[in-house]
Amino acid sequence: MSAIVDVVLGIVTSIGGFIEAGSISTSAQAGAEFGFQLLWAIAIATVMLAVMIEMSGRLAAVSRRTIDAAVRERFGISFQWVPLAAELGIDTLLLSAEIGGAAIAVKLLTGIGFLWWVAPVGLLVWLILMLFGFSVIEYGFGLLGLVTLSFVYAAYHLRPPTHDLVRSLAPSMPHHDLVRYAFLSVSILGATVSPYLLNFYSSGTIEEKLTEKELWVNRTTAYLGICFGGVVSMGVLVTSAMVLGPKQIIVDSYDQAALMLVPVFHRWGIALFACSLGVGCLGAAVEIAINAAYAFSQALGWSWGANKARSDTARFSAAFTLITLAGTLIALLGFDPLRLTMISLALTVVIMPVIVLPFLALMNDDRYVKTHTNSAFGNAFLAGLTLLGALLAIIVLPLEVLGG
Amino acid sequence: MGELALARDLQDKRVVDRNNRELGRVDRVVLGETPGGPPRVLAIEIGPSALGARLHPVVGRIARALEHIFRLEEGRPVRVEVDRIEHIQDSVKLDLTAGETAALAVEQRLRPFVKRLSGG
Repeated sequence: MSAIVDVVLGIVTSIGGFIEAGSISTSAQAGAEFGFQLLWAIAIATVMLAVMIEMSGRLAAVSRRTIDAAVRERFGISFQWVPLAAELGIDTLLLSAEIGGAAIAVKLLTGIGFLWWVAPVGLLVWLILMLFGFSVIEYGFGLLGLVTLSFVYAAYHLRPPTHDLVRSLAPSMPHHDLVRYAFLSVSILGATVSPYLLNFYSSGTIEEKLTEKELWVNRTTAYLGICFGGVVSMGVLVTSAMVLGPKQIIVDSYDQAALMLVPVFHRWGIALFACSLGVGCLGAAVEIAINAAYAFSQALGWSWGANKARSDTARFSAAFTLITLAGTLIALLGFDPLRLTMISLALTVVIMPVIVLPFLALMNDDRYVKTHTNSAFGNAFLAGLTLLGALLAIIVLPLEVLGG
Repeated sequence: MGELALARDLQDKRVVDRNNRELGRVDRVVLGETPGGPPRVLAIEIGPSALGARLHPVVGRIARALEHIFRLEEGRPVRVEVDRIEHIQDSVKLDLTAGETAALAVEQRLRPFVKRLSGG
């Protein structure tokens, strides 16, 4: 019975926790600029994430090790410093983007400039990390995040043509601006398959004490939760395509994206958008900051865990304090949060191979996953998409940055 | 006696004390020469200066300098002779307690601040 409750709670919170700054901004921009045409990118990225999350949970449940702990053991520090530095660098950038996104959400509700809210949001992230255990962090934000279902309701309410939606699930070439289209597809991949989620999920599996006998819980939660979560991202894209696209509104700030819910929810539209953005960004910021502390502590063999007293994990607590401070300071520099998010996401895809490929090696090593090694299809699917995404990101990122 | 591969089974593995308290990882393996015989493992080392030295000697020296600045260099890197290793399984378990080493010096230095901030 308890396992079934875990599965239901896991699925519900995966749906509620799916949306954050990256997925809202990429889906809103993709919908406004290319209609439904980039739905395929969300679909592929969602399946890729579900596969990776299932694997990271399987590794942790069977080996009793998180990804970063296993990479240190299997490949040594001489190799690990590369993915670890890449992960921590991207985590810091993404954290500042999420803090900026949450600050924008408060600005939408209060009308007071977002920079005034950056430090309070950073402080709130740190207080949550200092005071709450893993379950509150994971399930609390997941349940609050169900407000993001307003995008799915809006998309349904706007009655998009079904045959166009179905046709958009297959990749197709754009009629205009190929570089922008490629950049957005890479960013959608980066927004969905954030590397921090992998180690965060494997750490959560250890925190929740999931065992090899409960692999079905992990599998069900990962596939169903993530795939339903992808539907929320699709809801953002479809709503944006139906509302912002016809008015030729280009989403170059969150203020413009916020307009997408107005035709459906009227005077509550902006508030619902702000709540979705705020809860999503705050939840992601907490997860990113704690993941950076997980990664550092596990690689170095420190005592770690959100369910332990903070004074028993002083270095772990210091690590999330420092990264939260760094993310807040970067956000305070006043970079446009949307632009910072988009660049961070494309960089995420560039570094993805150094994180995913060693992870795949672990998933095929029976010393870690015993008889639960990957299938050849799973390996080829992940390795192929990771390398293809990185190659595309390396090509389009400079073009996008130079082109402004 | 089973076969032990140093890089695979010892180096970088998690180290715990007699009470399963995490002390860190095997950051360096110390080998010694025996006259006329093969090299043999003398000890393992735990600590940022040992770890840094494996990455690059300069990184090791920077870690050592930081430990000196924060007055943490005493007893670090922690060196544990092989005869204090109880067994090597998922972790390297030592036949000593954390308090007998300086492995948790940084943890202990930070603990009062974290305790005050978190309220417990």
